[in-house]
Amino acid sequence: MIGFRPAIATLACLAAVAASWAIAAELDEIQSRGELVWAADQEGGGPHVFPDPSDPRRLVGFEVEFAELLAGELGVKARFQQGQWDRLPLLLDQTADCVINGIELTPERRRDYGCSRPYFGYALQMVGRRAAPPAMLADLAEAGPAGAWRVGVLTGSAAEIEMRARAARGEAQVEVIGYDGTLDSMEQVQSGVLDAAVLDDCIVTFYADRFAALRNVDRPFAGGLYTVLTSHRTPKLAAAIDGAIGRLIADGRLKKLYDRWDLAGRQQMLMLRDAAEIPVARGRTLGELVRQTLPLLLSSAGMTVLLSCAAFPLAVAAGLAVAVGRLHGPAWLRPLLTGYVEVLRGTPLMLQLYAIFFLLPKIGLALPALVAAIIGLALNYSAYESEIYRAGLKAVPLGQFEAALSLGLTKWQALRHVLVPQAVRIVMPPVTSDFIALFKDTSVCSAITVIELTKRYSVLALSTGRIVELAVVTAVLYLCMSWPLAVLSRWFESRLDRPAGGGQ
Amino acid sequence: MIEIDSLTKRRAGKPVLDGVSLRGAEAGVTVLVGASGSGKSTLLRCMNGLEIFEGGTITIAGHRLAAGGQSIAALDDLRRDVGMVFQQFNLFPHLSVLDNVMLAPRVVAKVPVEEARCRAVDLLDRVGLSAFVAARPATLSGGQQQRVAIARALAMRPRVMLFDEPTSALDPTMTSEVLDVILDLAKAGQTMVVVTHDHGFAKRAATWVVELAAGRIVRQGTAAAMLG
Repeated sequence: MIGFRPAIATLACLAAVAASWAIAAELDEIQSRGELVWAADQEGGGPHVFPDPSDPRRLVGFEVEFAELLAGELGVKARFQQGQWDRLPLLLDQTADCVINGIELTPERRRDYGCSRPYFGYALQMVGRRAAPPAMLADLAEAGPAGAWRVGVLTGSAAEIEMRARAARGEAQVEVIGYDGTLDSMEQVQSGVLDAAVLDDCIVTFYADRFAALRNVDRPFAGGLYTVLTSHRTPKLAAAIDGAIGRLIADGRLKKLYDRWDLAGRQQMLMLRDAAEIPVARGRTLGELVRQTLPLLLSSAGMTVLLSCAAFPLAVAAGLAVAVGRLHGPAWLRPLLTGYVEVLRGTPLMLQLYAIFFLLPKIGLALPALVAAIIGLALNYSAYESEIYRAGLKAVPLGQFEAALSLGLTKWQALRHVLVPQAVRIVMPPVTSDFIALFKDTSVCSAITVIELTKRYSVLALSTGRIVELAVVTAVLYLCMSWPLAVLSRWFESRLDRPAGGGQ
Repeated sequence: MIEIDSLTKRRAGKPVLDGVSLRGAEAGVTVLVGASGSGKSTLLRCMNGLEIFEGGTITIAGHRLAAGGQSIAALDDLRRDVGMVFQQFNLFPHLSVLDNVMLAPRVVAKVPVEEARCRAVDLLDRVGLSAFVAARPATLSGGQQQRVAIARALAMRPRVMLFDEPTSALDPTMTSEVLDVILDLAKAGQTMVVVTHDHGFAKRAATWVVELAAGRIVRQGTAAAMLG
């Protein structure tokens, strides 16, 4: 028994420290600390929260000012916490006390989080290119000139849910494409990749000048309300926030704020006054959760497999070609190939995918997202594979090359029949390991709208609030895919009976 | 068949071969002897273009090698007519014994598959390894591997065979099984140049013996005259 109690005490202390340190604070703690930590994504842009164009170190936006008013009502200062928009609610389990960033009030959110009374009303607005179809919302009911309309939305936003629901009900012939950045979809409409985008109306109005080639299609539709999100563990904070919003509405400070931002303050106040009560969604059993999410997760796992199985053979072929070129190619080619490897290895995959998907359309080369993702992964991994193959080729003893040459084989025949087959066997283990790495790296492709398993998990975890359960299901799916791969590659290796060296 | 005139080769500024001239190895078996570092292996490797030399010329099986290296096409041509067997065998470990022997006829001489296979099986029979056609090189003894290497070089029907210390990596039993194969070839009239330390072999097989020391030819003559 000796030593057991101290262990428990230590654990308890650790747990207490972890709890006080990591989890959203309750009202009294916030007040003693003097700071309300609010989370938002400045990448989301205006008019919500964005870096001041004249001083990018400073954040501005109507929500920045709203957060300051709110904190003031609680008698503390507001402190901003950056997060990725579709994962902001997860920060409530970390360091943020609340989330203020255009979070729509829904029955699911009311079940999973503390939701304040609404502080802003919005509607959805569709935008398209000037003089290009669709001309009205109703046009979406029939397929466009090139088949289903391609419509961009912010991933996880009300616009995505609304457009997918319309597509599922057969009311709109649309392919809904989710983007991580608010303005990405408008950019893609402008460059002709998309037919239309659907966003919150306040965003469209705010950026109307920047996207002068775009126009509003039809009137705003399908509105909703923004709420301040808190954790269920901080009911006193939630109540205090509700009280504060009530006072800001009653004394006209909120209306003034919205008027300053050109957000039709009077109309906003009427919308907030007349808003109907949003119901609380019913909880789901684990069985229901799995039944509802598994088909989606499985189809996204299929995308993960497709991406890796299409990209990796290309990466291996290109990598081998680059390695052979660097070791045996003409002198002028070698520095070029070295540059190729260093550039692709030295810049992030995410940036390369952005360049292929968002920059190429600007010079008239618009690739479908899936193609861009496969090319991006293949290019990036070809740099790593080429280094592995270079090492493999160098590991084949010189005597092999000499023996091949002495038999009359040309250099390229010697490479093709003698050196490369041996190098391939030598590098089998690291190449297999890279395949598994690529397999997991496919998750980066969500940045260019390709929804694979990780992205699907994060969207589902957010919309259902069942973060842990879905993480387990997702991890199991990944293992189900990578385990057989590892077994297969070990079998393959043993079959090739890798040579020990120079053929003695 | 082989004529060497004033061959000079340096490595890191020092002469490895210093004005080597060789004549009279018309046909039959020329044996190169000499201490380690005397330049005999380098001389052999110059004969099929694995080494570039700075001065002199080599004429072998009708091909002329000039100082400073040859065109790739000229080397590819030369090597079809000049086969080589290495001290370390250098069999291709990823191919079966049969495929080792078939590779060059298939890829270089474009011999049809069936004909290449017949030729390879015949050669492996000739070196006493017809039972091992499907084996991987790594499963064979050193002597067996070297006999496969000889069959592999013979498969291109070279006019000249070069042997670079073919038995140095082998124990006495394996040595004699390899030497028997080389002696059979000599009896059949194959022109060859052999670098060796083995005087017994030189006595039995050589028609002409050349002794090198410090990159120069110090003596040459018939086996009887040179080795007593």
